[in-house]
Amino acid sequence: MTAKPKTIWDRLEDIPREILYGLLLVCIIVPMLFPIGFPVPISVEVKRWYDTIEALPAGSVVMVDFGYSGGGEPELAPFAVATYAQLFRKADIKVVTMSTSNEGPLLWEKAMTELNIARFGKEYGKDYIHIGYIAGVETAMAAVGKSISATTTTDYKGTPLSKYSIMQGVDSAEDFALLIVYTTGGDQSEGWVRQWYTSYKTPYLSCVLAMMVPTMLPYQKAGQIVSVVSGAQAGQIEILVKAPGRGVKSADVITVTHLLCIALVVVGNIAYFGKKFSGGKS
Amino acid sequence: MSIIMKKSVPIALVFITAVIFLLEYFVLPTELKSTVTMLQNWGIILTAFTLGFGAVNMIMFHGKQVSRRAKGQWPYSLWLLIILVLFTLVGVIMGATSTQYSWLYSSSYFALSATVYSSLGFYMTSGIYRALRAKNAESALLLIVGVIVLARNAPALAAQFPILVNMDSWLSSVPTTSAQRGIMIGAALGAIALGLRTMIGRETGFLGQTTEGEKGG
Repeated sequence: MTAKPKTIWDRLEDIPREILYGLLLVCIIVPMLFPIGFPVPISVEVKRWYDTIEALPAGSVVMVDFGYSGGGEPELAPFAVATYAQLFRKADIKVVTMSTSNEGPLLWEKAMTELNIARFGKEYGKDYIHIGYIAGVETAMAAVGKSISATTTTDYKGTPLSKYSIMQGVDSAEDFALLIVYTTGGDQSEGWVRQWYTSYKTPYLSCVLAMMVPTMLPYQKAGQIVSVVSGAQAGQIEILVKAPGRGVKSADVITVTHLLCIALVVVGNIAYFGKKFSGGKS
Repeated sequence: MSIIMKKSVPIALVFITAVIFLLEYFVLPTELKSTVTMLQNWGIILTAFTLGFGAVNMIMFHGKQVSRRAKGQWPYSLWLLIILVLFTLVGVIMGATSTQYSWLYSSSYFALSATVYSSLGFYMTSGIYRALRAKNAESALLLIVGVIVLARNAPALAAQFPILVNMDSWLSSVPTTSAQRGIMIGAALGAIALGLRTMIGRETGFLGQTTEGEKGG
């Protein structure tokens, strides 16, 4: 008994995954090698993020949670680097960074290298500092909110915090004008609402993975987070900060790969209905 | 070990600790601040300790796999142990913020971790192609919403067709947020119930024991 030959609808309805993967790979590599320069519109959320930082008065101290893991670096780091650039361009803003992820300090160093911090003339320990990885996730957030000095006595390199001028007069959540969080963890992004916004009303900016955004939207709608953005929107903040980098480059890739997905959905549905109306079963 | 030490003492400790935290948050924030700070620091230390405990547990488990030459497993276990020892030695001797440790992390774990996560994009593309088909009313709805969100998240399409932004904004603000709120409120009520049951000793899962309900009682 010979097998029934495959129709065009059969072939289009079940394109081998190797071909799909190959097409996606082409859609990633080509715009990377030959940037197209598609427009990057600025969303309301990213504009609000930018405006919140711009509105910080001189002398403000900002807390940053560098809480993502290595897997999330390609998505979140470009946004973090552009935001640091915006913070460091402003006069007299102090940035205290901590990590609720154990990979945080290493990834922070990587981001600082990418940022080329020397060009801003900022000094470690005077204008910015990293107080290290603090275990415990929400317990760590609550403890740091109450008292940094009671939670940790050294920075991420093990140097006593008392040696750094930036820490003078900075100890609890009440001393911070803004909280910025980059994280790949739901416990972290939601935990900061519970431990800092609810207790101290600290304005909170949250940058998460794109797939985490829907989970965070209720907090933004309730006013507990000023702005929720995804790392995939990094191109927008880079344009606002006028520091184009990995985010702008990846915007072309995002457009082309999303167009491929839409095209595949159209092809899949045409094949499904073509087969159905030509008498074949689907 | 007596039932008092196995059950009563841990439950009493949980009850007292929970009451201290509740009183500090709602009634006596100033008076109990130092006590709560101390307890939180204990929590941080215990969490950090569990990381070390996890490493010891992994050494014991994979050490057994290697010594028994577990079929199809022991080479991976051996590789894991080598990497674990290498990272530990470099971290302890050179320091966890040293150039050597940073290089080791960046060129091995970080690169692999980013690669594995990024490979999800390939599975998602295949999944979108196969799943988004208008086979019935529900899947047609999923298809329409999926295509709108896909198109809106392509920066060039969003710039060309601003209506996509408005549609996505409505989808995010109304159906998505409503559903998420329902889930969150339900989970929060569940967490409160679980907390209260744990405080009064009705929930004994944290002691490694089953509840009466799980026993069928």
